[in-house]
Amino acid sequence: MRYCWSCVTGLLIAAPPAAAQLSARADVSAGGRYVWHGVSRAAGLVAQPSLAVGFRLPRLSLEGGAVLHYELDRVAAGELSETGATERHLGEEDFWGRASLVIGPTRLHAGVVRYVFRGDSGTGGVGSARNTTEVYASLSTTSRYVNPTVEAWWDVERVRGAFLRASLDLPILGWPFPPYAFVFVQGEMGLNVGQGPNAARPGELTNFADRGPTHVGLGLGTELRAVRLSSIGWTTVAFGLRSQLNLDDATRVDGTGRRRDVNVWLWTGITVLLGGDARNRR
Amino acid sequence: MSCRRAVLLHVSTLVLAACGPTRLRVPGALSPAPRPGTEALLRAGFGRVDITPPPGVGLAGNGPEGAEARGYRVRLYARVLVLADGGGNRLALVVADLPLSSALVHRRVAALTARTDGIGADRLVIAVTHTHAGPGHFFEAAGYNDEGSSVLGFDPVMVDSLTARIARAVHAAVADLRPARVAWGSRAVWGETRIRSLPAMLRNIPPPTAPPDAPVGLAQEYALVDPELAMLRVDQRDAASGAFRPAGAFSIFAMHGTGNAPSNDLLDADIQGIVERRLERHIDRDLNRVSDSGFVPRAVHLFANGAEGDVSPAWPPQSRCDLPRLAVLPALEGPFTRTLWDWRAPTATHLGACRHAARQAITVIGNSVGDGAVALFDALGAALTDRLELGRSFATLSLRDSARSLGICPEPALGISTLVGADDAHTRIQGWRLFGLFDIGLKEGSPNPDVPGCQAHKRQLLDAAFGGLLNHLFISGHLPSYAQVMVLRLGNRVIGAVPGEVTTTAGRRMREQMLAGARGAGVPASAALILGHANGYLGYLATAEEYTAQYYEGGSTLYGPGEAAMFGRALRRLAASISTGDSLPPNAVPPLDLVVGQQRHIVARRTGGRVPPPRIERAWCSGDTLYAWLQLGAAADWPVATGDVAAQARVEVVVNDAARRVVSWDDDPALELRLRSRRGGLAWWDLRWSGVSGLEYRVRIPGGAESDPVRCSGAGRIR
Repeated sequence: MRYCWSCVTGLLIAAPPAAAQLSARADVSAGGRYVWHGVSRAAGLVAQPSLAVGFRLPRLSLEGGAVLHYELDRVAAGELSETGATERHLGEEDFWGRASLVIGPTRLHAGVVRYVFRGDSGTGGVGSARNTTEVYASLSTTSRYVNPTVEAWWDVERVRGAFLRASLDLPILGWPFPPYAFVFVQGEMGLNVGQGPNAARPGELTNFADRGPTHVGLGLGTELRAVRLSSIGWTTVAFGLRSQLNLDDATRVDGTGRRRDVNVWLWTGITVLLGGDARNRR
Repeated sequence: MSCRRAVLLHVSTLVLAACGPTRLRVPGALSPAPRPGTEALLRAGFGRVDITPPPGVGLAGNGPEGAEARGYRVRLYARVLVLADGGGNRLALVVADLPLSSALVHRRVAALTARTDGIGADRLVIAVTHTHAGPGHFFEAAGYNDEGSSVLGFDPVMVDSLTARIARAVHAAVADLRPARVAWGSRAVWGETRIRSLPAMLRNIPPPTAPPDAPVGLAQEYALVDPELAMLRVDQRDAASGAFRPAGAFSIFAMHGTGNAPSNDLLDADIQGIVERRLERHIDRDLNRVSDSGFVPRAVHLFANGAEGDVSPAWPPQSRCDLPRLAVLPALEGPFTRTLWDWRAPTATHLGACRHAARQAITVIGNSVGDGAVALFDALGAALTDRLELGRSFATLSLRDSARSLGICPEPALGISTLVGADDAHTRIQGWRLFGLFDIGLKEGSPNPDVPGCQAHKRQLLDAAFGGLLNHLFISGHLPSYAQVMVLRLGNRVIGAVPGEVTTTAGRRMREQMLAGARGAGVPASAALILGHANGYLGYLATAEEYTAQYYEGGSTLYGPGEAAMFGRALRRLAASISTGDSLPPNAVPPLDLVVGQQRHIVARRTGGRVPPPRIERAWCSGDTLYAWLQLGAAADWPVATGDVAAQARVEVVVNDAARRVVSWDDDPALELRLRSRRGGLAWWDLRWSGVSGLEYRVRIPGGAESDPVRCSGAGRIR
């Protein structure tokens, strides 16, 4: 482990500062719910460690990573869970890769995500039968007050259809002195345009019940850049509150026989950023 | 109380004490009663000490925009003039290339010089040029140590280093005391300064008017400044020849030290450094015909600041860089990770362009004001006299404890306009609107007419929701509580030394009050001057009318609208009680209880170990700039580790001919030394010299290595 850490650190330090940059990012997030594309996949205490590495040229970057979804609570029968009512904790593994193009304040991404489910479908979990792959493209831009993003997702394996997501980040406060702190509001909305029931393929899995809006989310978050790691990186601590208005029957599911129109949950996380991206931060 | 609780309580107390701000109690040291000397004549002595710290310190004065120093351009000095009369009275004037003055350093220096040279706090003035490219971390109030730049904290090593160096320079000036002749004079310098908060100034009653000698056609913000460059020329008797030779000067001119934009990351003496050196070189080369004037000039020009609170140098708009702005950091922002936020800096190209424009402006303005200083110095040669009456009065005001009797607010408060910065250096939050829609007053000139009480009109942070609670809980305790005020008599001039930044109109009123006080007491004063940034720092002093406008200066007038008038009354009282030949009562310098902020190791510490001889790794030219990489000293070294000033430059650029003519060194505005790395505890520097003119050069470390010759094709330099 120490050897791996030394290698990563060495690579990051040795990376040329301006032309091409290597970056690495490790996140550990913990929250009261795991929600993906507006659909609640697990309730209770959920931990999500993730690791990403990237290689950046002046405008273009290639990035990839993995994220694991652990359910830390004991799950009872009927509760919303990916693992099911077993002793397992790992519910899902996701692997992603993407290419990004930065043109001024605008960022264009194209990528792929592989979802691998580790739950036991026999005890109410999500098993490997739902393993699937999505490709996606997104467009983001940054202005002084509003940072909108539009994403298009396409399930190319199991569901075979599209889902659109629009989100908006609004910074409220940026503390100008170190350690820098930020307060921001995040809003998002999902739109199902092809991941619902398909009359032509009635046996196919679906993610949503109907075409149209799936959910509207609103969150408030804070971020504190806590510790500088020598000259190669930063640690950021964040926490926040999110709420979601559920509009599709799939987003309302909250366990067997339980439905909720509104979800509210807390989350917190730590991010360690190393290498080029960290050096770019002022 | 259980044992467990007691342990918890003790641990909590220790943790709180460790995290809390540092508190200091600083006693005062008065001058002993003067002992008449054997010489009845006026004597003067000069001293100078290099106070350039190593990289890593914060460049104070621009709040969050103040960068961490990466190196230095024009070195920082503290210059000293000591005047002594036949009655044994001594006055020491210090002008340091620093951003703010500090009552803490003043008291510490006085404690040393009172013992060694008979110069206590009441006979010592430590003023600063207010360069915003100077180090922080030595101030008397936590607010200025912890929020003066992006490098936060109070460092006792900075206090100790400045104290030792300045005290040594005062001692050297006392040792240099020689019979002297002096002359006072003044001259108007127009067009190089401007009023930066004109709408606030125009609120004054009666409205300000331009002096009759203001050039016709000058824009209002340029015509309403106080253009006076006041100077005391000093000639000393040469020990060998017995003749009096020009030796230096003490000048006062109102101008912020903000030629450098906040994006500057180098220690630099700013415009004031150019003015100081221009007169010093003139005295050495043109008047005294010194053939080898050396790396450090022999003449000494103390160039102090006046009532510069609302006065900016006439920098062009292109010299101010864009500010970092809040943006999403596209850092490995994968589909499952949260967005990270960041202050995104402008591009390197943009920063390079505006820093270049700032350097050009510094040179142009510095040369112009310097030419005025040279002309005035030369003109005063015909008015020299060996008579100069010396006197002083001194008081320490306890602002919180005596607020009622002083007529000021009992609790200091920062206006929101302070947070957004002045016109010279707005901060990144200037103009910010909530959700981009709602104006929350983050701009200058946004008074809040609903604020009740003593600080009426001062819009404070989130006062709509919390009133003055945030200020009471988090801010006011970090602001200064004392003011050391002094009035000097130097011949027919009375000088009010004020620990703050006095606006033009407030300064005019203070001068009138001082003159009235002095004349009422029978002092034959012909003029009064304001010496700002002296013996401490407690923000700005705007008039009551300017205060209501809540521009930067009004927002930073900490003790309310009556503060400037209070200082006017104090100066009048002190001008009426100027004394000489005596010692002051102890209550003139009561102990100061200071809260100086978070104590941190900021100034790099020597770690020991052998430092190899300096070497030049490579040198090359690109366009009009010569570059070199060199290893020079240890990473924690001050440019001058021992002694008062360096005997020679650390690095030079020479023409590659037989004579090796020196064309630049590490005190040249066109030469920058930036620390590239601290590898192995050594300092690895990046040298840039933008003065090439189509010749072949070498980079040389005096007494050491020399680079291979470099052919450069650039054309011309700024000067």
